[in-house]
Amino acid sequence: MTRDERGYAPIREYAAIGDGRTVALVATDGSIDWLPLPNLDSPSVFAAILDADRGGRFSLEPDTEYTASRRYLPETNLLETTFTTSDGEVRVVDGLLFDGRGLAPLRELVRVVEGVRGTVPIRWSVEPRFGYGSARTAVGARDGFVVASAGSDALAVRSFEAGEPTIDRDRVHGRFETGAGSTSVIVLSATRGEPLVVPDRVETLTRLDETRDGWRRWVDGLTYDGPFRDAVLRSGLALKLLVFAPSGAIAGAATTSLPEEIGGERNWDYRYSWVRDAAFTLGAFLTLGYPQEARAYFWWLMSASQITKPRLQVLYRLDGDPRADERTLDLEGYRGSRPVRAGNAAADQTQLDIYGSLLECAWLYANEGNRVDRDIAARLAGIADLVAEIWSNPDSGIWEVRSAPRHFTQSKMMCWLALDRAVSLAGASHIPADHVARWARERDAVRDFVEERCWSERLQSYVRSADSEDLDASLLLASLLGYAEPSGARMAGTLDALDRQLRDGPFVKRYSAEDGLEGGEGAFLACSFWFADALARADRLDDAVQMLRQLVEIANDVGLYAEEADPADGAFLGNVPQALPHLALIGAASSIREAERRRR
Amino acid sequence: MSISGALAGGLLGTFVLTTVLRMASELGLTRVDLPFLLGTAVTENRTRAKALGYVAHFGFGLLFALGYYLVFRMIGSSGWLLGATFGLVHGLFAGTALVNILLPLVHPRMGAPWTDARRTPLVERPSFLMLNYGASTPVVSMIAHVVYGAIVGGVTSMAG
Repeated sequence: MTRDERGYAPIREYAAIGDGRTVALVATDGSIDWLPLPNLDSPSVFAAILDADRGGRFSLEPDTEYTASRRYLPETNLLETTFTTSDGEVRVVDGLLFDGRGLAPLRELVRVVEGVRGTVPIRWSVEPRFGYGSARTAVGARDGFVVASAGSDALAVRSFEAGEPTIDRDRVHGRFETGAGSTSVIVLSATRGEPLVVPDRVETLTRLDETRDGWRRWVDGLTYDGPFRDAVLRSGLALKLLVFAPSGAIAGAATTSLPEEIGGERNWDYRYSWVRDAAFTLGAFLTLGYPQEARAYFWWLMSASQITKPRLQVLYRLDGDPRADERTLDLEGYRGSRPVRAGNAAADQTQLDIYGSLLECAWLYANEGNRVDRDIAARLAGIADLVAEIWSNPDSGIWEVRSAPRHFTQSKMMCWLALDRAVSLAGASHIPADHVARWARERDAVRDFVEERCWSERLQSYVRSADSEDLDASLLLASLLGYAEPSGARMAGTLDALDRQLRDGPFVKRYSAEDGLEGGEGAFLACSFWFADALARADRLDDAVQMLRQLVEIANDVGLYAEEADPADGAFLGNVPQALPHLALIGAASSIREAERRRR
Repeated sequence: MSISGALAGGLLGTFVLTTVLRMASELGLTRVDLPFLLGTAVTENRTRAKALGYVAHFGFGLLFALGYYLVFRMIGSSGWLLGATFGLVHGLFAGTALVNILLPLVHPRMGAPWTDARRTPLVERPSFLMLNYGASTPVVSMIAHVVYGAIVGGVTSMAG
């Protein structure tokens, strides 16, 4: 792997490890360049991915020429990197550990270095920079370990058979040689607001075994047995990394401000949970065979939205807090892509599509045999009332454009979905039916609006917004979420039009018009999966399989996807790993499975 | 001046002391967590440790209030100011001897200068004035204890 002259690795080169509370990104060269602590949405202690000089990192690599290959240990989120040199080979297993028996650190990151053959010199360096690199970090030696601290955050670095740790101002580093059968261990124990817990080697390695077993037990629950099973399994594991276990919320992605265009301003903090993703999330967990996760997510969603009821906010913090104040961080940005943001101002936008997502989510939840209790039922009915009232307003749309609000077609389609699902929920006695006649009337009015003003005779396609001639890949969701008949004439025409204007092989761009921001962006990978999904639903099975096969090959070496990819060279752009492409992959594979069943 | 007054003051004082320390922690001033330190002395289960630690912490708060009461009785005086002075001494004692020396003696999961190779400490030691938990810890701890003492002294005298 080659870093550029500033020290940035390609986004494609990052693998993710996590423990259900936070996620670290590990580059192919063994450098951990991203780690927020103690939670995924906390400030980072390692952020070299956003500022190679000042962000902080934990590097570990052979002190000589080498090649590297990687994989996840089967059915886990533990990463194994194999470094091969002219004199030997060494395997490094990286993991963020679950709580096990005994007193465990608040967060624990372990790197186990196993000598496979020959001797390999290894150098390592921990450069902690709390508070996105802005907090003054003190590093000092204690009894047998090194502590880095800033305010109420602290990190202990403890090494076993990994050379003598040396403190050099604000970093600690070491060097050692591996031999065949040797095992060295470096452990980071982190805390916030309480004394550090610093475990010994045996306890840490025991917890590593327990973590591996824990992941495998989770995978044992996977019931999906259809096409592309390996990719679906890896996507499931990637999603599980993004589920914030303390609340059940799922983060949009593990990072902030990885750019949609190198050097551009489209750099957003995705460490929030988007209501937009609700239906996909619930659907994916049900497809995979994890009703517990689906249930936990629905509960979190209803709890988070309690404060803002009946209006929904576009996104919520992982703990359910509606505040997401956006600020700019004093970091260089990935390859100079500024600004680097923490927080997300999209929280304050109006997006009508989220109501459809939530009511679809509730419909899926109820159809699984879950009881919708009286409070939630009343709130869902209140949301349907609200949609009946506001569907005719303009909004910012699913892509959170920062240009003036308009009548986005996909938003209207989702309003139709919201009202349709409310009618169905009322019909099944899940929610009060007092206003069902109004919901049905407004639902039909929405459809009339879409069919009359959001359809272009010239393009023979639905269009991005009312009375426009622009296209938008989010129109694919009309097929996926049930607004339009997937093999009907209008969806077929829309698929053809999107194919002509927005698709380039397996890559699909989001839209063909302005969005209020400077510069452009890559192809949005979720849209590619939605395209394959729509093809499958339209019974164009061979096309769908071929497209999904191409998309599976676009994943990085460990099966992860970023938000976007550059159609020119396949380079990843945007935050990584992102939930939406993985959710969409699961959906597309599932639709292909259904299409295969229909064909038989 | 009465025992029940001292106990009421101890309960209220510990409540405020705990709140001050927790707020300081949230503000990034310190990592001291007395319930965590006390609880992990008896269990490795983090949740149980916190719960037990809070119970023990309030128990100690009441015990110290009784100690204050005995001294108030001996000198025949109590009040906010006298209590605050006691709190200052109490805070100094906590930072220099109680948490720094006595707690590691009895805490099976905390290392001490005399810990040998047979033991594997888990919990970070506080050090002199609990400075290991952050440079502002002595000030925060002192303020919290002075407030505790003032409340115990004041409520004790008010209780007639």
